[in-house]
Amino acid sequence: MTENVLEQPHTLPKVKIDSPTSEPKWIRRSLITISVLFLSLFLLLPLVMIFMTAFQKGVDVYLASITNSEALSAIRLTFLVVLIVVPLNTLFGVLSAWLISKYHFKGKNILLTLIDLPFAVSPVIAGLIFVLLFGAQGLFGEWLLERDIFIIFALPGIILATLFVTVPFVARELIPLMQAQGQSEEEASHSLGANGFQTFMRITLPKIKWGLLYGVILCNARVIGEFGAVSVVSGHIRGLTNTMPLHIEVLYNEYQFTAAFAVASLMSLLALATIIAKNIIEWRTKEVSK
Amino acid sequence: MSIELREIDKHFGQYHALQKISLSIQPGELVALLGPSGSGKTSLLRIIAGLETLDEGTILFDQKEVVHLSAKERNIGFVFQHYALFNHMTVFDNVAYGLKVRPKKLRPSKKEIEDKVIELLSLVKLEHFAKRYPSQLSGGQRQRVALARALAVEPKVLLLDEPFGALDAKVRKDLRRWLRKLHNDYHITSIFVTHDQEEALDVADRIVIMNEGRIEQIGSPVEVYENPASPFVYDFLGNVNLFKGRLRKGELINGDFSFKVPGSNLDSEQETVGYVRPHDVAIEKEVRPNTVKATVLHIHPIGATIHIELHRPDTNDYLEAEITKEFFTQLAIEKGDTVYIHPKQLKVFVPEDFSI
Amino acid sequence: MASLTAKKQKAFRLPGFKLSFGFTIFYVSLLILLPLSMILLHSLQLTWGEFWTIISDPRAVASYKLTIGASLVAALINVVFGTIIAWVLVRYTFPLKSLMDGLVDLPFALPTAVAGIALTALYAPNGWIGQFFDFKIAFTPLGIMIALTFIGLPFVVRTVQPVLESFRIEEEEASASLGANRMQTIRHVIFPTLIPAILTGFTLAFARALGEYGSVVFIAGNMPMKTEITPLFIMTKLEQYDYVGATAIASVMLIGSFFFLLTMNIIQWLIQRKYTKRVGA
Repeated sequence: MTENVLEQPHTLPKVKIDSPTSEPKWIRRSLITISVLFLSLFLLLPLVMIFMTAFQKGVDVYLASITNSEALSAIRLTFLVVLIVVPLNTLFGVLSAWLISKYHFKGKNILLTLIDLPFAVSPVIAGLIFVLLFGAQGLFGEWLLERDIFIIFALPGIILATLFVTVPFVARELIPLMQAQGQSEEEASHSLGANGFQTFMRITLPKIKWGLLYGVILCNARVIGEFGAVSVVSGHIRGLTNTMPLHIEVLYNEYQFTAAFAVASLMSLLALATIIAKNIIEWRTKEVSK
Repeated sequence: MSIELREIDKHFGQYHALQKISLSIQPGELVALLGPSGSGKTSLLRIIAGLETLDEGTILFDQKEVVHLSAKERNIGFVFQHYALFNHMTVFDNVAYGLKVRPKKLRPSKKEIEDKVIELLSLVKLEHFAKRYPSQLSGGQRQRVALARALAVEPKVLLLDEPFGALDAKVRKDLRRWLRKLHNDYHITSIFVTHDQEEALDVADRIVIMNEGRIEQIGSPVEVYENPASPFVYDFLGNVNLFKGRLRKGELINGDFSFKVPGSNLDSEQETVGYVRPHDVAIEKEVRPNTVKATVLHIHPIGATIHIELHRPDTNDYLEAEITKEFFTQLAIEKGDTVYIHPKQLKVFVPEDFSI
Repeated sequence: MASLTAKKQKAFRLPGFKLSFGFTIFYVSLLILLPLSMILLHSLQLTWGEFWTIISDPRAVASYKLTIGASLVAALINVVFGTIIAWVLVRYTFPLKSLMDGLVDLPFALPTAVAGIALTALYAPNGWIGQFFDFKIAFTPLGIMIALTFIGLPFVVRTVQPVLESFRIEEEEASASLGANRMQTIRHVIFPTLIPAILTGFTLAFARALGEYGSVVFIAGNMPMKTEITPLFIMTKLEQYDYVGATAIASVMLIGSFFFLLTMNIIQWLIQRKYTKRVGA
């Protein structure tokens, strides 16, 4: 055997060895199968089902379901909430990330924990706390009632509850990013005579724009979809305080399944757009870091 | 154990990483694979280890073909550039790992493993660090743990991939000396990859110089340094001055002077380049026959060897020379002086087509 | 001019401290601290006895058990499958891989109510999936577990995935060159380094499941003592204008999640410290 090899040095051994850093083929195959099945069953199937049920009774019924006055007012209300909540939490995210990443001060960790807190609070409790604050029996309840100011069961309540739930999204995206980037470039800019605003616009913003956009997109998705907190404070007044998810709930509870899934399909499209945007940003960030 | 590589060929996609590499290594040798990044040296080492597959060719360990054996069956010790220690295990557990993962029948007893690990840790002078985790060690200490770990399985071959590449200069020198000593004591056939010519010249019994997937030259450190087989080797093994000129009748005509090139007696003229090491550049203060004028641009006076940068007005070339401190004091030159230089030794690589 | 002493010197600070500090503190106080303190304020209006009666009501206790149990099962399912999915997405190539990768984010992006009605319709006795089973899935604790698994999956996948991506292949090669087989390498070298990420994923998925409302409310059936989760119990109390009761139960939930997160952080800290603590000479 040995001599044979020596005489024919060009023979190629036909035995394929497994790569030392991979698994046998059958294990790879089965793990892939398990994953694909799990993802299809748990994630893909619900998505397919939403669209199929939505168009079950034809395009006319579908269009009618999403263009009737109640649906339209729910859509309008949802986008109004987005227009108010997303910019506010973006502003907060940028300022708090700047504060936490650029300065040293006492209590920084407590502040970080507070910013994270809404993630750990049930949406129902997020709604409840604003009822306790501004509801009829709440801390400011009587004071508001005397002045005919309505917060709970009205737009301001919806906005406050949504603000609370989505506080961490932009901040949480930016803080680690800005901490990793350090502040030497900002210091250089300052030493060259730029003021704080110029430094932020010309140096910091270009560095964080993708992370910022990422945070905004995730925040936006959550604002549109927030259900539990809004459910507590909205009062479910049709055509007035029903956001899209609440409208879906109402339709579903009234056994108008096709209509419910029609509105749900609209929200699913927004969710898909969110995922696509997120992937584009991730891809961009990877390209840049190459 | 002897190692023999025959016509090893490897592609990475379109890239031809290794082109028909043949090499034989004697039992107990310490061989350096030297080359720039992308020369294929690391791929070759990984193929020997079984961490990478080859497209064509054979590998023999002690005359036995091992290509079909996986990395775990080849009984090699591999040391990685970035240590690749298991960060969640103590130093002790890292070193013991190779023994603990053996099948039950071949596994030494707990006591035997412990003795072996302690023996190896004292060999690398880390016996007091057994309970620490890798993150609590310095780079040099980590690489020593990695070496002890590789030696624990009593490998027949030790393969080291840029073992000192991630360490700072001082630690690097210490470890280099220490590896040499280890090798003298144990005589394990060892191959190490490096891109640092000084390291290769310093440590290895033999050096294999690689470039673009091919072996340029194999030889002892003295052989490859004194008799480089190609311009690439000449250039890679140290600083070099180029004398571009024409080769005519056994003489290199370069600017204002000519130099006899032994062994080349062509009739036809051709463009060529002469290679001269800085320490082969002779400097004179007075003009002599067959010297060329140059201006002293800069003098680095630190250390036993003085480095001098020169400029040749005739060809507008820049040159580097190295002279001893003694000679420098004798010469008494300063920046801006005009001197006369000539190469003491000059190597010309004549393309094979033209040589007779 | 000698009076220009150290007193006048200040460490350099980028401009904007006052603005960012002021705004952040104002925002956090008004939007997070003040509202959350209402739970404490309202709970303190109760005597300990009244408080205990509300929170130890059998219906409340049943809801705690269900919420914790279903969340735990869901988080554990996610740990197993989430780790496998992260592994497959990082290590293997297969058709439609990027589609699958993107799909993992669906529970983050899809409104919970939409997920809730879709899952309910799928697992209802006459639904696409429900029809194949002899037993009921929707409107039972099983349905709750499915909804909680749905919303928790990305937490595990997205925390394990980057750790696997940055895992140095050299450690696996070192293990193989030392004679370990693939299973030994996975068990002794790869898996231990994933534990912190898996724990984080578990923590996030479990904490999220504890408070989840939207995706569960449709599929749960909401039978008191049987399929009523704690957030829903709070909601029911609110609909009956029992603010005191709702607040008391909410405080139990908040304290529960707080201690859970605290415990997990301590565990993580202990793991971290084990590998990095300085040993005295």
